[in-house]
Amino acid sequence: MRQRTSVVLLATFVSAGAWAQDVSGFSTTIAHFSQQNTPGFPSVDLAPFTEFLGVDATRLGSDALSLHLYGWGVNDLGGPSTILGKSGGDLSYAYLDYRFSQANAEFKAGRFSVNQGAGVEQVDGISGRTDLRGGFNVSAFVGAPVHYKTQEPPSPSTYTYHYQTDMIIGGRLGLRLGPVGEVGVSYLQDGSSPPWDLATPPPVDYTRKQAGTDLRLAPTAKLELTGHTLFNVANQYQAPGGPVPDGHRVAEQDYTLRYTLLPTITVTGNYTERNLEAYFAGTNMPNLFRTDVSDRHQAVGGSVILGSATATEVVLDFRHMSRETYGNSDRYGADLRMAAAESKVKYGFGLHKVSAADLFMPGGSVRAFYGMSREEGRAWVMVEAGKYTASLDGISYHFDDGTNPNLNGKSSLCQVVGSVGVKPTENLSLSGDLSYGANAYYQNETSVLLRTTYRFSAASKGGSK
Amino acid sequence: MIRKAVLFLLAVTLGLGLSLACNPIAPAASFAPTHPQELGPGRPLCTTCHADETLGGAHKPYSAFDHTPAFVKDHRFLAGRDSNVCAACHAQAFCADCHSGKVFMTPDVKLGNRPDRDMPHRADYLTVHRFDGQADPTSCFKCHGRANNEQCIVCHR
Repeated sequence: MRQRTSVVLLATFVSAGAWAQDVSGFSTTIAHFSQQNTPGFPSVDLAPFTEFLGVDATRLGSDALSLHLYGWGVNDLGGPSTILGKSGGDLSYAYLDYRFSQANAEFKAGRFSVNQGAGVEQVDGISGRTDLRGGFNVSAFVGAPVHYKTQEPPSPSTYTYHYQTDMIIGGRLGLRLGPVGEVGVSYLQDGSSPPWDLATPPPVDYTRKQAGTDLRLAPTAKLELTGHTLFNVANQYQAPGGPVPDGHRVAEQDYTLRYTLLPTITVTGNYTERNLEAYFAGTNMPNLFRTDVSDRHQAVGGSVILGSATATEVVLDFRHMSRETYGNSDRYGADLRMAAAESKVKYGFGLHKVSAADLFMPGGSVRAFYGMSREEGRAWVMVEAGKYTASLDGISYHFDDGTNPNLNGKSSLCQVVGSVGVKPTENLSLSGDLSYGANAYYQNETSVLLRTTYRFSAASKGGSK
Repeated sequence: MIRKAVLFLLAVTLGLGLSLACNPIAPAASFAPTHPQELGPGRPLCTTCHADETLGGAHKPYSAFDHTPAFVKDHRFLAGRDSNVCAACHAQAFCADCHSGKVFMTPDVKLGNRPDRDMPHRADYLTVHRFDGQADPTSCFKCHGRANNEQCIVCHR
């Protein structure tokens, strides 16, 4: 969407909010001052000011009609510190929503996010859904996909083919089987023109047409299987001189099994498989995501959750990942969380180990293979006392092979963030963060962040959101 | 493009016509747009009040929506199928804290005063992503493969 169009849309929607009987929203202003020190380079001072603004206006002449806006803008007083330049912003969503009193029917128009089976997108367009008789439900959307500009103008070899991303359409048909589950089929198509119809066919076909199936089965209250499978159904062609399509139709399988052993003990298992050519079909960054199209990723994992939904939760987790062009890696560890809702003090700890195959880097300065294993640790505490809050959050990584070129000579990285806040009134909160970090990019990075949030609400009913 | 749009509108019109003729719309009332009572602090457990009940609009037991660690990790599935249930308590802006597409500030910086919330990419993930990306290049794609490219393309040209 052009910036001018966004401004007009925003102004129209905001003025429409004047008709609302219930209006709520928030404004968060963040001033972030930081200094980055890199050996051999002068230190860099950054000072971006960011404003986040959200508005929800309901009962716009009718109880069913509402308006929802959210966006942000940034201006750097010291900059340009960001890849956006000295200033920038985005309208994350801005849509009118009409919710019918029957059948969970809903209609949206504007910019919004959709999550309908195969379609997980940000769209400028329209969408609708409704429940049907017999447990069926249907949803669909159509519009223009939201894309973001890059620093450099798009070029055919590195970025995107706009003629294949001029529209996006998708939908899902679901069947609810009472409390025991739900199944669904979905479809997504991005772009209206197949590449071979173009006057100059591109060397690589990024057409994206995906079909999906999803399910949730819960034969008993203690057992639940949920997940989805996505298929690449586009007729991908091999351009002269282009890569040979690998032929995999399954883009993704992602399933999780959850079993509640006791009310406070839950066991989960997960299986994931992704074939990269089919999964990355349609990416607008092919140079990053389509480098080895015949590659495949698989993962199995699980967790044991002790004290689930109690004041003391312990999560033991394990995940084994396998990538054909790289090798195997395992991540395992535990998290402890003490966070009773009524408690003034909440805290948590986490320790994880990643055992990964060595990485082949023929351009490495020391040798050809480098270690990729590491240990991770995190500890945090948060205190709420009346209108005052304070928190401390520390994270560290220790890498087994400090000579890995990705680390720039640092085998240990860390970051500590301390925050204090006060809530002078019910609607206003102020907080400040001080953070210090040592990482592979900067020898050290210190930052101060000041945060002001003002919430306003004229809503006359309903719970807090 | 125009032909497809016309065909789509015709299909929608036909669908609406059939809907009116056969009335396949479920007669049940819609799910409540807001929770009738304000909920307390912390992650809510629906079963505290709705022990063995089924959530009418979603045809699922309330226990499926208890905000346990397993729910938080896999909330994407229920959020896709039953977004109206989420909307009873969460404004869309809550989702946008992490899922807003184009961003300037990572969620962990924006909410540095809330270490209790699960946030992606805490601390120096810029370094760590070089390691995680080797083991699993697919994990980046859902959020960054078709969005937020201004960030990625600085290095991944």
